[in-house]
Amino acid sequence: MKKTSFHFLRVGLAITFLWIGVLIFKNPEAWGGYLQPWAVGLLPITLTQAMIGTAFLDIAIGAFLLFDFLPWLAAFVGAIHILIVLTVSGITDITVRDIGLLVAAIALMIDSLPQGVSKWFVKKQNPETNHAK
Amino acid sequence: MTSYALLFTLSAIGISETVYLIRKRLASEKPVCPIGGGCALVLTSKYNKLFVIPNDILGLLFYIMAAFVSAFLVIDVPPIAFWSLIIKLSITFGALLSLFFIYLQWRVIKAWCFWCLMSAFTIFLMGIIIVVSGFI
Repeated sequence: MKKTSFHFLRVGLAITFLWIGVLIFKNPEAWGGYLQPWAVGLLPITLTQAMIGTAFLDIAIGAFLLFDFLPWLAAFVGAIHILIVLTVSGITDITVRDIGLLVAAIALMIDSLPQGVSKWFVKKQNPETNHAK
Repeated sequence: MTSYALLFTLSAIGISETVYLIRKRLASEKPVCPIGGGCALVLTSKYNKLFVIPNDILGLLFYIMAAFVSAFLVIDVPPIAFWSLIIKLSITFGALLSLFFIYLQWRVIKAWCFWCLMSAFTIFLMGIIIVVSGFI
């Protein structure tokens, strides 16, 4: 990915995560309404507490991305977070846009992976090549 | 709430701009200067500090404050009237300071810095949003 496009995507995704976090803080109960009943039943804490935790996580991911601090880790956690959101809320007319956010987060993560992590991943993919060396 | 959403978004854009400039300054690297070509000249001039604090850090603090205050206004953190006054005063002060920096680039340094103009434009846009939201 070109450097400029990477930063556009990073800042755009950061604003999305930050703003969602703020909106959840404003009305955690309403956002909790998106959860499927089976998912609510699995929660060990109240729905409001879980949603406030989600708001903190969203804001942390957004802040990391905005400050360009460990963007690969923020994007990785963000992608897992969106996957969980899709699982527990189901894909509806509203949440379908999360698929776009998920892919954007994965793209950011792949593009900003530190060299050490990338090399480890390549080694895992091609073990024969490494043995030949 | 729309105006606060826009203020929050512009603050976040401002944060990303100033973080970029701070990183470049700390690494002693020249920032990318797509338009104007005078970024390095402006950013290393004697006007790059205000009261010993570099302008990029002052900008970052301003944008972080604006992001927090607009978030407080959305979440309805009391006292609302206080936060509303703070954001109006700080944006007015920021816009006036930006006008002064534009004057410095135009008449004194005689070079244009893309990032400084971007930041000024961001603050002017915040001011326009405040003014327009007062009428709607």
